[in-house]
Amino acid sequence: MSEIKFLLAVWKTNLLSAMEYRVAFISQIIGMLLNDFIYFAIWIIFFERFKEVRGWGISDMYITYGVLASAFGLVAMLFGNAFTLSEIINNGRLDYYLSFPRPVLLHAVSSRMISSGMGDFTYGFLSYALSGQYTWDGFLRFILATLLAAAVFAAFLILVQSLAFWFGIMTNLTSLAVNAMVTFSIYPITLFDTYAKLILFTLIPAALMGAVPAEFITQFTWQSLAELLAGAIAFLFLAVTIFRLGLRRYESGSAIQVEV
Amino acid sequence: MKTFQKYWAIFQITLINSLAYPGELIGRSLMIAPFMWIFYQLWKVTFSAAGTESINGMTLYSTMWYLMMAETIELSRPALARTISENVKDGSIAYLLNKPYSFLLYQFSNSMGETIFRALMNAIFGSLVIWWLVGPPPTPLGWLFAFIAVLGAWILNFCITCLIGLSAFLVEDVSPFVWIYQKFIFILGGFLIPLDFYPPWLQVIAKALPFSAMIYGPSKLFVAPTMELFANVLILQLIWIVTLGATLVFAYRRGVTYLTVNGG
Repeated sequence: MSEIKFLLAVWKTNLLSAMEYRVAFISQIIGMLLNDFIYFAIWIIFFERFKEVRGWGISDMYITYGVLASAFGLVAMLFGNAFTLSEIINNGRLDYYLSFPRPVLLHAVSSRMISSGMGDFTYGFLSYALSGQYTWDGFLRFILATLLAAAVFAAFLILVQSLAFWFGIMTNLTSLAVNAMVTFSIYPITLFDTYAKLILFTLIPAALMGAVPAEFITQFTWQSLAELLAGAIAFLFLAVTIFRLGLRRYESGSAIQVEV
Repeated sequence: MKTFQKYWAIFQITLINSLAYPGELIGRSLMIAPFMWIFYQLWKVTFSAAGTESINGMTLYSTMWYLMMAETIELSRPALARTISENVKDGSIAYLLNKPYSFLLYQFSNSMGETIFRALMNAIFGSLVIWWLVGPPPTPLGWLFAFIAVLGAWILNFCITCLIGLSAFLVEDVSPFVWIYQKFIFILGGFLIPLDFYPPWLQVIAKALPFSAMIYGPSKLFVAPTMELFANVLILQLIWIVTLGATLVFAYRRGVTYLTVNGG
């Protein structure tokens, strides 16, 4: 309970801090909304011309893109430092978080808010509303699926970035992993064969961020819910374990850091 | 001639600098591989579902090599807008303005130096993947025409990204412009889907804009090198380079009048 209060306090501070630059804050949100709208137009053009890809149509794309955008946006808003955790580790900036009587990982990743995430998060809901498959129970499933997909994504980011404890600077690998995760999430799952699907559920769990949540939103099945829940729990457990193991190896140069 | 040597030296320094971290260069270029693989999956299924080998004159083979060239151009673009915007915001632009060179030509030489090896590595890795998936690359004439058109694309990209960066004189944050510019390249440039697959009305609009001269033109020339297309692409590039170049010079001159740098 105290951790939840702590998180709420951190998020409130992040929001106030981001809103200090009011124009930049609003322009980032509106800019990202526009960016998502324009990007999705590609899929409208594609499905206008080719109608469907192995049973996957524009309506499915609206939902997949929606849940992906909202999950991505949620992580960017609430756990912005998950995107740069490897830099924090390499630059010795974990010292700051280690000096507090709070969970190091939770404190580190939640200490930054990426304002544009709010645009992504909002766009996801609009995308679902435009899918033509909107229902009230579907809307509730959309919220649950977004939370679980966000958990998988945040865990994946932490997992990949925590490898910096062992391998040092790895900006390229992390950006490659994040790009691959987002790119694979948005493409129709029906494109991939069995081996590729195995990778998309394990090594790069993009299916748990795009296709499976979309399937769950479209129609409730216990199987898709179980896949999402199991995926979120397993990846969170793995991410926390790897981070803790890595933290034992953590060294810093006693550099003076200022956390703003 | 002396003026040219100055910028040539700046270009060379950045070029050599870009080779200082080969691991970084290779790692960044590897990103093209998963993109090419996923594009192949999408277009293989699409051509198969359409039940035809050719759609609007494009085969699976030409579509994939087209996308390889498009990806190479896009992934090689340096983050110039953000760099200039940071220079304007933190005042470090003052250190560039008081040097005996043109700020715009300095930025151009610098960005070209950053781009060359990045483009080369992307082209090598992208070509290897596509060769493995659909077969050997198009004719040498395609490489030649595409190379010339890519130079024009880089100049156009420089004009637009520099304009976006300089907009930091007026706005707090240029990121939304960067995102939207990138998405215009994606859609109106034919980056993810060749413009040939667009509805005719949209093709007419897209092919008149600078974005298509940056991605579609060079990529299409690569897979279908004809003199007519080559001339069309170069004329379109020239028109937009003159228009955007003039706008850039005007914006820069107006921008520096807004500049206030305190301390140092």
